[in-house]
Amino acid sequence: MFIARAIPFMLALVLALVHGVFVGVAYAQTTELRFVTWRSEAPEVWNQGIADFERQNPGVKVIREIGPQSSTQLHDLLTQKLKNRDPRLDVFVMDVIWPAEFGSAGWTLPLDRYFSKSEQQGFLDAPIAANRYRGSIFGVPLFIDAGLLYYRKDLLTKYRVAPPRTWTELVDAAKKILTAANDPQLIGYSGQFKQYEGLICNMMEFILGNGGKLWDEVAMVSALEQPAARAAVRFVRDRIIGEVSHRGVLAYEEPESLALFTEGRAIFHRNWPYAWAVANDSERSKVAGRVGRAPLPGFSPAQGAAALGGWQIGVSRYSLQPELAWRFAAFMTGANMQKRIALATGRAPTRRALYDDPEIDKKMPQLKSLLETFKQAAPRPVTPVYAPLSNIMQRYFSSVLALHNTDIDKRASFAGRDMNRVLDLLRDRSTP
Amino acid sequence: MKRSQDAALWFLLPSFCFVALFSLFPIVESLRLSFYRMILTLPWLGQRMVGWENYADLATDPVARDALVTTLLFIGVTIPLELLLGLGIALVLNEAFRGRGLLRAVVLVPWAIPTVVASQMWRFIFNDRYGLVNFMLFGADTSSYLAPLADPYLALAAIMIAEIWKTTPFAALIILAGLQSIADELYEAASVDGATSWQKFRHVTLPLLKPALLLALLFRTVDSLRVFDLVYVMTQGGPADATNVLQFYGYKKTFAEGMIGYGSAIAVTVFLLSLTLALVYLHLLRTSRWKEAGL
Repeated sequence: MFIARAIPFMLALVLALVHGVFVGVAYAQTTELRFVTWRSEAPEVWNQGIADFERQNPGVKVIREIGPQSSTQLHDLLTQKLKNRDPRLDVFVMDVIWPAEFGSAGWTLPLDRYFSKSEQQGFLDAPIAANRYRGSIFGVPLFIDAGLLYYRKDLLTKYRVAPPRTWTELVDAAKKILTAANDPQLIGYSGQFKQYEGLICNMMEFILGNGGKLWDEVAMVSALEQPAARAAVRFVRDRIIGEVSHRGVLAYEEPESLALFTEGRAIFHRNWPYAWAVANDSERSKVAGRVGRAPLPGFSPAQGAAALGGWQIGVSRYSLQPELAWRFAAFMTGANMQKRIALATGRAPTRRALYDDPEIDKKMPQLKSLLETFKQAAPRPVTPVYAPLSNIMQRYFSSVLALHNTDIDKRASFAGRDMNRVLDLLRDRSTP
Repeated sequence: MKRSQDAALWFLLPSFCFVALFSLFPIVESLRLSFYRMILTLPWLGQRMVGWENYADLATDPVARDALVTTLLFIGVTIPLELLLGLGIALVLNEAFRGRGLLRAVVLVPWAIPTVVASQMWRFIFNDRYGLVNFMLFGADTSSYLAPLADPYLALAAIMIAEIWKTTPFAALIILAGLQSIADELYEAASVDGATSWQKFRHVTLPLLKPALLLALLFRTVDSLRVFDLVYVMTQGGPADATNVLQFYGYKKTFAEGMIGYGSAIAVTVFLLSLTLALVYLHLLRTSRWKEAGL
């Protein structure tokens, strides 16, 4: 009787043990690869890609850690892990301004061994240059960004205004439309002017468009005090924000500024290429089909400048499986993956060949016309001390834009002095 | 006697080890690092002992000075309001009425919400396109909506409001505990003497509540000197550095810029500031207890 009752129990126990052993074996054979990234706009493409990679590499499980969307906050998360030499971080996405810093700190693996010069030639020059520091390459470009001007085609046509070629034309056009439309909801210009990294991109575009620069990379001194840079900053304060925008933009990052545009409440809008797909998606945008796009204006025609943006994939120096991490980076940045990401999200690929891909051309005929903009996009200066320099500039730009009646000349010279102190750190290089 | 003391020491050992590992060690290590120049992104500079250089730089750093002013302003505005509101709430909750138990629990909700979540919520409330504040002020007239987080003065005020909302319940809780320790006979005696409600409050409640108020003041001051999450989520220190409090500045220096030495000097300064304030309060607390006991 007792035995009869015990049999099912024994059976269950044996089954559990056997199952446990098998699971254990399967577990022991799994290699985990940790990938820190942000939330993609097309998660299904990423899930699919990662599943494909796992299929091609049996026994590998990619663990994704989703970090903050904001570049600044993701930077702080990654640098904490890297600083602590966390072996449970193998591979991660990098903003275009990080490779020099991470490479200099010794946090990323130099990839020259895997990523040959000839292989690099298949990519656009600007993002490759951004991943290079002191002769080594520290990341593989995933997609490229450049600042673009979006505008309401319907409004420009209705009020007979041509797409502006200069910033002054843009302000005049915006004022003309604002007066004629007489819509209290409408503003002239929406960009990213919050105190964060995007502020640097926006302001750099104005400064370069006026023939100025952020700092002189040869003399290694600040150029914010130069007349061209100061005039551009003054123009943004007095004319862009003072005359055609509203003060809300001083708290805007990309999503907020784009939302204003897709709600039909902004005539002109500065953003990266991804905004095109969003603005023309009738589910997410009230202005779908009524959007135009042009290179950013300059202060004289054909002087416009676009900031180079974009993301790369890098491998941690402290990864216990660099070979596998590299294979993953190569897979995610491969032609196949870049094409799938481009088709799903409108993100611009970094591989030259994809600009002649018939399928991409059919889905995104506008992409080819951007190639010239991408080729000429201006990188933010490559330096391991980019983060402190950026914080000084963010403080300067935000102060002169947000505070009333600030003395731009005085603030520029303060910011310049602070920047020079940081740049001087690089001079110590010669003295060991 | 001796034996039981030995046992007590053994019992204390685990918690001492815990505190030593997670509190003492980081403090001492920060102190050590604050005397070095160490920049993570420039490893070839090495780790060089520079003595008081970081502190000298800090003393002359205008951004740090502004951050200190912002922090003190933040404390100076939020804490009196928190204590005042907390006192009001505690007085109400100390009365007997139906549903008091429920209300006591409800009042604690803001304090129980993780700060990051609350900050995100307040960011939405102050949003310039769909924020609740704007809706309450202007209704459907979206063209007059304000952008509080885009204005240097309003942004700081917005963070103060979020902080007051978040931590007033904590002050109320401590004050309520103080109120409950006041014996009813004292009020009965005052009533017999013909004291009005105000006189009872002024001459019975308030003096006996002093220790509780000082305790609330101590906790709140030390805590709000370390304000960080609200700034991190709501403004990232902007606009125009208007919400750049000391802790956030130190965080930026250490984690975003990799300036370990300088960042540590800021952390140590914040630590010393709160230690000093804590000691002053503790001293006040002790003297007020003595007076109470008639010493």
